[in-house]
Amino acid sequence: MTQRISKYQRFKMMNPILQFFKFIYLSLKVLIIVAGGHGGTRKAH
Amino acid sequence: MSKIVVLGAGISGHVAASHLRRKLSKAHEVVVVSPNSNYQWIPSNIWVGIGRIKSEKILFPLASLYKKKHIDFKQAKAVSFHPEGDAQEQKPYVLAEYVAGETKGQQEKVTYDYLINATGPKLNFEATEGLNPGTNKAYSVCTYTHADHAWEGLNALIQEMKKGKKAKILIGTGHAKATCQGAAFEYILNVEQELRRHNVRDLAEITWISNEYQLGDFGMDGMLLSYGSMTMKSSEMVEMVFEDRDIKWILGAGVNKIEDGIAHYENLEGETKTETFDFAMLIPSFSGHGFKAFDKNNQDITDKLFKGFMIVDADYTPKPYEEWTVQDWPETYQNPTYKNIFAPGIAFAPPHTISKPRKSKNGTEIFPSPPRTGMPSGITAKLVADNIIDSIKNNKESLKHKGSMGNMGAACIASAGFGLTQGSGISITTFPIIPDYVKYPKTHGRKLGKTFGEIGLAGHWLKLALHYAFIYKAKMKPFWWLIPE
Repeated sequence: MTQRISKYQRFKMMNPILQFFKFIYLSLKVLIIVAGGHGGTRKAH
Repeated sequence: MSKIVVLGAGISGHVAASHLRRKLSKAHEVVVVSPNSNYQWIPSNIWVGIGRIKSEKILFPLASLYKKKHIDFKQAKAVSFHPEGDAQEQKPYVLAEYVAGETKGQQEKVTYDYLINATGPKLNFEATEGLNPGTNKAYSVCTYTHADHAWEGLNALIQEMKKGKKAKILIGTGHAKATCQGAAFEYILNVEQELRRHNVRDLAEITWISNEYQLGDFGMDGMLLSYGSMTMKSSEMVEMVFEDRDIKWILGAGVNKIEDGIAHYENLEGETKTETFDFAMLIPSFSGHGFKAFDKNNQDITDKLFKGFMIVDADYTPKPYEEWTVQDWPETYQNPTYKNIFAPGIAFAPPHTISKPRKSKNGTEIFPSPPRTGMPSGITAKLVADNIIDSIKNNKESLKHKGSMGNMGAACIASAGFGLTQGSGISITTFPIIPDYVKYPKTHGRKLGKTFGEIGLAGHWLKLALHYAFIYKAKMKPFWWLIPE
């Protein structure tokens, strides 16, 4: 069943103060995941 | 002294050239060969296509920057590859043809010690009859010029709607095996928001048409992601957004022909159907550029270098979906025959798709090709540059830098509407990009927590911040290299 976005959820999504903290959180989280390293998947040949 | 030639000046080619120049002394030569005079930050084309950003804001000329940074720039297109040289030229070279200026039309043998093929994809509009940006009411946002045209078309429609016209808008993929669903997803949400901003939303019927089997596949076989305190499928997340925005959807659709305001498609049931529209933005299929390669005796060796895109260290053995592994995907992007040739970004031939292949009842393959967005393009370009730098400095081949898409995270910050206070974005990260069903068997091949989704205003700010940060980085301004790929 499709979940629609409730009024309260929408308030949280668009509230600039809450979203400012979310912005900091997202920036750090994205940085950690993306800049957190990458590598190979195969054993050394 | 070594000479490194980079073909292409998109995200991948520009990242490789800038890191090579920063880390190698001036004794070594870095040459960029690209038919484009400008660098463009492609992810922001979405905003050009809704008229909220001028295309001049997402591009800058390359020649002056490269001159300042001691990177040789040739505004030319690659014609053919000669990795063994020929009877007259001992060194390997690429035959390039100038496309602008006094030398336009002239050809030059651009010799190299190392070659980075970062030519990206060819936008293969010809693969879909009638799909030509700006004709038949169908548009594209794949380049800034296409996005400019798309905005002209959309704006004209909005003006008509303000006079009471009802309109049908169709956005998605324009070929049975197209990729880049993410860009179309961003565009449909931005168009929807713009229609609301212009108070004409209730006059529009907006439809998503895609070769995906499920919503939220994005050419990545979908995702299971953390969303707040819940765990949710990407299909459920996108369905929630589309329901919320009153956007209809057609899935498993292989668009095969466009006529004036009509899209013809075949679905997985084998039915042939049509969908009418007043404005469409359909992503074309991507293909290789059709380059030819020759050995020193001028014999055709194209199959050693290309398989549509360039052959690299992937496992191209054909096998069924159930036997695919992350190990099939390349780690160093090095051509196995000619070890001084690399193909990062979108230029390499993927071993197979990421999404499960599906055929219609008529045998037509309808499924997304694998996407490779800006982030993995930049990461793979940097690691190729680092391996070349190490090889030059150590005077022997070094491949210690590796980056398989099966062991790499990516972020997709999808704009869902423009505006500092009214904007929205859907931030999705995924780790790894290629699902690893052995490592993460119970979470659809990906690590939960590192694979998450968020919807809200912060996503728009983040996309805007990335826009400015990456243009700053691309302009190679002070400490640009501190900004990660």
